[in-house]
Amino acid sequence: MPLIERIQALRDAKVWYDNMPLESEYTAGIAGEKFLRAIKDRGVILGTVCPTCGLTYVPPSMYCERCFAELEEWVEVPSRGEVYTYTILTRSLEDKPLDEPQVLALIEMEGVHGGLVHKLAAAKLDEVEVGMEVEAVFKPEQERVGSILDIEYFKPV
Amino acid sequence: MSANIKSFPGTPLSQADFDAGKVLTTYWKPKLEYGWDAGVAISRYLEELKNGRIIGVKCRSCRRVVVPPRVVCEWCWEPMDEWVYLEDTGTVNTFSICYIRWDASRAKEPQIPAVIYIDGASDAGFLHLLDEVKPEDVKVGMKVQAVWKPAEEREGSITDIRYFRPL
Repeated sequence: MPLIERIQALRDAKVWYDNMPLESEYTAGIAGEKFLRAIKDRGVILGTVCPTCGLTYVPPSMYCERCFAELEEWVEVPSRGEVYTYTILTRSLEDKPLDEPQVLALIEMEGVHGGLVHKLAAAKLDEVEVGMEVEAVFKPEQERVGSILDIEYFKPV
Repeated sequence: MSANIKSFPGTPLSQADFDAGKVLTTYWKPKLEYGWDAGVAISRYLEELKNGRIIGVKCRSCRRVVVPPRVVCEWCWEPMDEWVYLEDTGTVNTFSICYIRWDASRAKEPQIPAVIYIDGASDAGFLHLLDEVKPEDVKVGMKVQAVWKPAEEREGSITDIRYFRPL
């Protein structure tokens, strides 16, 4: 058997096919839990406030990013905001073409440091622009499970 | 010095808490498929295991026979390309008695992995399991014999040998 063998197709080499068994169950964390429960139970978006830095964090954080203070103050933020940036998806996570292009946007509420990344439902793609006003559309209460997807999408105002 | 810490920071949660839905969770089971190319030497080795045979390879220069086979002798840097069929018997070089399985679960009956030097090779062998023997009777130097899966169940893997048992 020669030492140097040129194998051009993976199937010609002996290939061991297998699957790595992996399962995960992630908790939301203390702030995340409160944030998601508020969306589920009350249909509102919460943020945390750092009194020193004067910043309202959405999604809420337990600690201030800048001064590391523990944040105790929780506030309700408006469910409408401005599109800070967006992207248009034409393929799914499995790399299959989507039936309809999907717009994902980072929506910044007024007075908030940060914002939420979510789906944008626009009637026409060319009407999506940075700075446009959008509003969250929540699922009906009985359909909400405590997920960010309890907000169905943001729609232009 | 964690023995000195009486209470750890954090939010303790038990399986019962998860089952009761006390906290919100996201479950994910990703599809992690892979195809691993065994390489020239191991490809042949696995193919021969499927045929119910153990194959080794001999160095051109130092004439050592090693198993599992490789393409270059790590002593001489010379090619190893003389294939040699070996016996499916061997000698226990070292062993372990394990009450913990690969996934960290406890086992009532222990597993006995052992390095078995294969007859026909120059003090070379591979890791496998011992069975049909009591843990207290396993000895270094013990003569053992491979117990193979039937031909139709063999898939070109080291598990085509079920285990080794005392001769």
